[in-house]
Amino acid sequence: MNKSLKKYWKSEVELTNNSQVEKLRHDEFVEKLPVDNLFEDEKSLNDSSTNRRDFLKYLGFSTSAAVLASCEGPVNKSVPYVIQPERIRPGISNYYATSMFNGYDCANILVKTREGRPIKIENNKLAKFHGSANARVHASILSMYDSGRIQGPMYDGNNISWEELDQDIIKKLESLRFNNSPVALLTSTISSPTSIKIINSFIKKYPNITHVEYDSISESSVLDAHEIMYGVRALPLYEFKNAKYIVSIGADFLGDWMGSNYDGDYAKGRVPIKVDGTATMSKHIQLESNMSVTGANADVRIPLKPSTQKLFLAHLYKKISNSDINLPELDKKTNERLIEISKDLTLNGNSSVLVCGIDDVNAQLLTNAINDLINSSVKSSSKVSLIRKGNDKKVNELIAKLNNGEFSGIIMSGVNPAYTLPNPKSFNDALRKLDFSVIFSMKMDETTSLCKYVSASSHYLESWGDFQFVNGEYSICQPTIKNLFDTKQFEECLLSWSGNENSFYDEIKSNWSNNILLSNTKWNKAIHDGVYSSNDSYNLKSSNNSFSYSALELSKIKSSNFELLLYSKIGMGDGQQANNPWLQEFPDPISRVSWDNYLTISKKDAESIGLKNYNESNGALNSNYALVKNADIELKLPVIIQPGQANGTVGVSFGYGRMMGIKSEMKTGSNAFSLYDKFSKIQDVEIKAIHEIHEFACVQLHNTLMGRGDIVKETSLEVFNTKDKEYWNPVPVVSKNHIETAVNKKEVNIYQEFDRSIGHHFNLSIDLNACTGCGACVIACHAENNVPVVGKREVRKSRDMHWLRIDRYYSSDVSFQDDNQNKDDINGLSDSLSVFGQMEDPNENPQVVFQPVMCQHCNQAPCETVCPVAATSHGRQGQNHMAYNRCVGTRYCANNCPYKVRRFNWFLYNNNDEFDFNMNDDLGKMVLNPDVVVRSRGVMEKCSFCIQSTQAVILKAKNEGREVNKNEFNDACACSAACSTGAMSFGDINNKESEVYKRKKDDRVYHLLEYVGTKPNVFYHAKVRNNDKLKNI
Amino acid sequence: MGSHYEAPIRKPLVTGNKTYHQISVDVARPVEGSANKQWWIVFGIALALFVWGIGCIIYTISTGIGTWGLNKTVGWAWDITNFVWWVGIGHAGTLISAVLLLFRQKWRMGINRSAEAMTIFSVIQAGLFPIIHMGRPWLAYWIVPIPNQFGSLWVNFNSPLLWDVFAISTYLTVSLVFWWTGLLPDFAMIRDRAIKPFQKKIYSLVSFGWSGRAKDWQRFEEVSLVLAGLATPLVLSVHTIVSFDFATSVIPGWHTTIFPPYFVAGAIFSGFAMVNTLLIVMRKVCSLEDYITIQHIELMNIVIMITGSIVGCAYITELFIAWYSGVEYEQYAFLNRATGPYWWAYWAMMTCNVFSPQFMWIKRLRTSIVFSFVISIVVNIGMWFERFVIIVTSLHRDYLPSSWTMFSPTFVDIGIFLGTIGFFFVLFLLYARTFPVIAQAEVKTILKSSGDNYKKIRDNKNG
Repeated sequence: MNKSLKKYWKSEVELTNNSQVEKLRHDEFVEKLPVDNLFEDEKSLNDSSTNRRDFLKYLGFSTSAAVLASCEGPVNKSVPYVIQPERIRPGISNYYATSMFNGYDCANILVKTREGRPIKIENNKLAKFHGSANARVHASILSMYDSGRIQGPMYDGNNISWEELDQDIIKKLESLRFNNSPVALLTSTISSPTSIKIINSFIKKYPNITHVEYDSISESSVLDAHEIMYGVRALPLYEFKNAKYIVSIGADFLGDWMGSNYDGDYAKGRVPIKVDGTATMSKHIQLESNMSVTGANADVRIPLKPSTQKLFLAHLYKKISNSDINLPELDKKTNERLIEISKDLTLNGNSSVLVCGIDDVNAQLLTNAINDLINSSVKSSSKVSLIRKGNDKKVNELIAKLNNGEFSGIIMSGVNPAYTLPNPKSFNDALRKLDFSVIFSMKMDETTSLCKYVSASSHYLESWGDFQFVNGEYSICQPTIKNLFDTKQFEECLLSWSGNENSFYDEIKSNWSNNILLSNTKWNKAIHDGVYSSNDSYNLKSSNNSFSYSALELSKIKSSNFELLLYSKIGMGDGQQANNPWLQEFPDPISRVSWDNYLTISKKDAESIGLKNYNESNGALNSNYALVKNADIELKLPVIIQPGQANGTVGVSFGYGRMMGIKSEMKTGSNAFSLYDKFSKIQDVEIKAIHEIHEFACVQLHNTLMGRGDIVKETSLEVFNTKDKEYWNPVPVVSKNHIETAVNKKEVNIYQEFDRSIGHHFNLSIDLNACTGCGACVIACHAENNVPVVGKREVRKSRDMHWLRIDRYYSSDVSFQDDNQNKDDINGLSDSLSVFGQMEDPNENPQVVFQPVMCQHCNQAPCETVCPVAATSHGRQGQNHMAYNRCVGTRYCANNCPYKVRRFNWFLYNNNDEFDFNMNDDLGKMVLNPDVVVRSRGVMEKCSFCIQSTQAVILKAKNEGREVNKNEFNDACACSAACSTGAMSFGDINNKESEVYKRKKDDRVYHLLEYVGTKPNVFYHAKVRNNDKLKNI
Repeated sequence: MGSHYEAPIRKPLVTGNKTYHQISVDVARPVEGSANKQWWIVFGIALALFVWGIGCIIYTISTGIGTWGLNKTVGWAWDITNFVWWVGIGHAGTLISAVLLLFRQKWRMGINRSAEAMTIFSVIQAGLFPIIHMGRPWLAYWIVPIPNQFGSLWVNFNSPLLWDVFAISTYLTVSLVFWWTGLLPDFAMIRDRAIKPFQKKIYSLVSFGWSGRAKDWQRFEEVSLVLAGLATPLVLSVHTIVSFDFATSVIPGWHTTIFPPYFVAGAIFSGFAMVNTLLIVMRKVCSLEDYITIQHIELMNIVIMITGSIVGCAYITELFIAWYSGVEYEQYAFLNRATGPYWWAYWAMMTCNVFSPQFMWIKRLRTSIVFSFVISIVVNIGMWFERFVIIVTSLHRDYLPSSWTMFSPTFVDIGIFLGTIGFFFVLFLLYARTFPVIAQAEVKTILKSSGDNYKKIRDNKNG
């Protein structure tokens, strides 16, 4: 675009006669003012007299000037840089590669900073593993700007200085070492090579210290199984991009299973791309009890109780290994499925894989064995995942010893046992009794409040660090902002306590140079990239061949009452970030409930116990409570009747019920860790109904698609491969002169089309095959666009403000296609009443579909015509603009929006004590994106296609004198940038090389509600399900 | 105007052997006398409601629209329901005074003054809602096309809301002028009878120096005719344009070409019902039974019956078209209306608007004061539900089921509605005490032709 060096002139004179203009430019006034004469000549100055009129003028001026000067305007103090830091230019974002691991979530990320202030998390595409942030990682930036953080070191509730703390602790540590009194060091999983070294040298200095790693949600059984089989205590790693046939028994690998980050790879195999007229895609069978995101994405989902899952796994092993094991029989239907699945597993050979989430060593052994038997290439034989190391046995031992008073001191970091232990009472008592208890913590949480010494720790965005999530794959964590408070990192303190004067940064650098990079020159590049891959790999080979014993053991387990499966929600994980309003307001992808956890139960069981969900007159969802009893522990939980929940099972998510170090608004839900007996996610429980009402904040109150097949178009792989596009993806038609004409044809358009072939024309493509419903885009959009949090009360009134929502629909018959058929078969009024009535209720094992919906940026937008003040109007580049300043708030646009994507500011959501979230907090406001205005009360808002970023891209290209690169725009939109599965692709369709242009040509493309004639700039790709053969099983 | 002959089979429009003087006395009586206890009680209640409504409006404006029950899916509910309801009620006045004037329906003379007053007062109520329903009502002037120099920008002439602004303001202006023109001779009559200097002063001001000369009367007649001609298209246009708010949208249940005539019929329907409600009480309280006779009420009941039937036809046509269109969203919208979660609102509407007016086929019922009064109230309840049904049940379940939700009003929604009712009655009660509630000058023109005594004399002479 070198044409941009055009010359602009303000007048003709400027063009032709440059010298005169140049002269004028230097003079402020066209004519010289005669002030010099007056002041130079003293005589004339003295002679000049001030007459009465002038006097009055001066008097008037000076009086009013004095009055005006005395009215002080609001003073905003801003301190300019004394020395302008390099690379920080106001208005320009800087990106830093870093990585994070908090014991639960891990990711390699880029941090967007503005004027030295981190404001957003983005994916690090250089990373081979864990290169994409999930919803919680995206939200973690807000957790840094949490004014409830501990702002400095404390002893016994009083603020002290770091020097005092260090001195005290070193003194105590030394006296404990002298007496050889055992001290516990309880941390979350340490996956940092340098931290491990530091801890080791710390223990070397104080040999009386025992280090135990503790995962709040344990993966001990998987680790144990892996250790038994392969001799390496690590989690297996799967590479789903190689997978053609995936069988998952209870593994929520698109959710939180083992800290997984598999959705990107998984989605690659899920998009059917035609090669020589035939498309292939992976087939995914899910057997599970709770409805998980993974189950929702599966081609076939079979609800099974955990106990039956175990038996099923044992049988599967028996079948595949051809061993002769005497197992109890499966029921007939499940057995048929077993035969089908085992056949397909072997048939697909090394491109098939079995993953298993059953929390049982034997189950994990069998899973590994089956994968080895079928020679699965999906399960990596050279790489393992190192993000969980906790060993239940060691943790139990340590807790038992602590409770018995065998420890004289404890140091903790990254853990909150008082919250995450199933029965923390004795632990709490023991901890309270200890004289020497140190905790590294950011919040005054349940455990921290019981400790004597509180080391205020830094957020990962303020920290140095390094990680090895996968063997041989290293990541660097670098600070993106100076410590906001007087905080220190765990490792820094350990270094100083072990008498090492090096900083943690020095340690990392030398460790990397000596042991990882093996070079002094690669360090800067490693920092820049944030990741480094070495050739380090294992050769995992099983030493054992027969697992008949495990199969037998597994088949023995019998359950009596309800089988409870504890899980973690995408929004809350293990509850570390419970004080994060973005995550609290994040609707669960499956239940669409925000601000709560709950007991999920099947409809049949709920009816037999007397539990129900119902809607209030304003639509808000209510339930009664269930009393969940597990041995002597009782927990009162509200109930969500979950379609797809296996009968005889219930589910509860971790992460809620936090009570300390948390704002009162965020004290939501109940603590499911209390049911986490023996660190087992599967529990036997009894359920009783309590007739009290619970109020939910659910953003989607209607769960089915009502047979509206044109909203979510889908077909089967067979039809996709064999039939014409017109058959499975027809464009709706209207009648023109009694001839049916496709609605996208010019002749049926009543509007004059605007020529969009010049300049940029933005489109967003959403592939329903690739979207797993993970919700990372929802939080990314929240962060990018300063979307307000409105709180539980308002969400309950259907006033959530999310610009981007992920609609989740259940089929009401066994599949959506059956729903469509049922609707088409309606005959007569009474039939329609009964059929539509049935369609309101989801099936007991429904098909599920996710559909992200944001402003569709219609080229013929219904909202634009109805606004009386033209506050919303169309952009040259295809966006539907929203001028907040112009909006008077009639809400007509929202009413007339067929997609219902417009969000109204019902109240003032910032600086308002009624909405005491991050926008009512000076620190919380630091996360706001300065490029996006914070909307005031009474105006409409909605998705803008991140116009602030697309414009920045255009300007950058213009400054650099080049055209915008073909896919540069994709990272400008927060949602498409955050999307790790490639479900979303954003860009300029006038650039014929862009990804989005190519995608627009796809056969699967359709527009949402195309028949309305809105001509949206967002298009969807019809979902193709690979379930032809297994439809009936 | 009008001949002095009226067929003997026509019932007299003025009863009670009135003379010209008696008419003056009867009309001036409420103005000249003092208010009774009942007036004060009713006025007190209305004022209390009004004040409560003001409180709710202040609360809304100072806190936000969030104080109402609206949500992301249902962006309009009671606000626009009330707006359309009040505008609809405001239709009867102009219809009676303008259209019936052009059609030379003399019976309008007994009721047109109060009907027009009702029109103006209800349009005032209606006009409140488009302003207070805005998120930022202090910027309401932005929807007026005033030059950019004023600080606002040019408006969007595509928007039906803007058309509303013109429609309503034109209607209010023309109605007010028309009403006041008619009031001039009557104010002058009160002025001439007034004893207290203050009263005299006021009434001479508001009667604009009416002198009763032939020229005055001639101009009066001309202006009345011209204004009637102007106002007649307005009767049709106002509610047509209000219906465009919905008809031009893309929402199933709103996007309907039948809306303009359907809305106009509904408006006349509800307007006449409101006139009946008011006048049945007023004729009793102000002892105006001789001017607002059973025949007046009967005629209005017939209009109610006819327009009610038209509205009923429209409802059925909507259902038919929904089925006939073959559009599934359209079909579901109407199925949902009648059988969905708001079925009770739909059937309340059907019962009140379609079934109840059918009783008016029976002469005994339509000439019964009590029955007419009850039906007039029922009709307005039904018409309120009609707007609620159109607005809320269409919005709450539109295209994407994921956004489906429900609406429930808060105390503020209810408070503002009650407040406008209070405001309306405050205005009407004040009017009833200070204005000549019967167009006495016009009634006097038909006394000789339609007065019972004169008719009797004439009939006796002829017979």
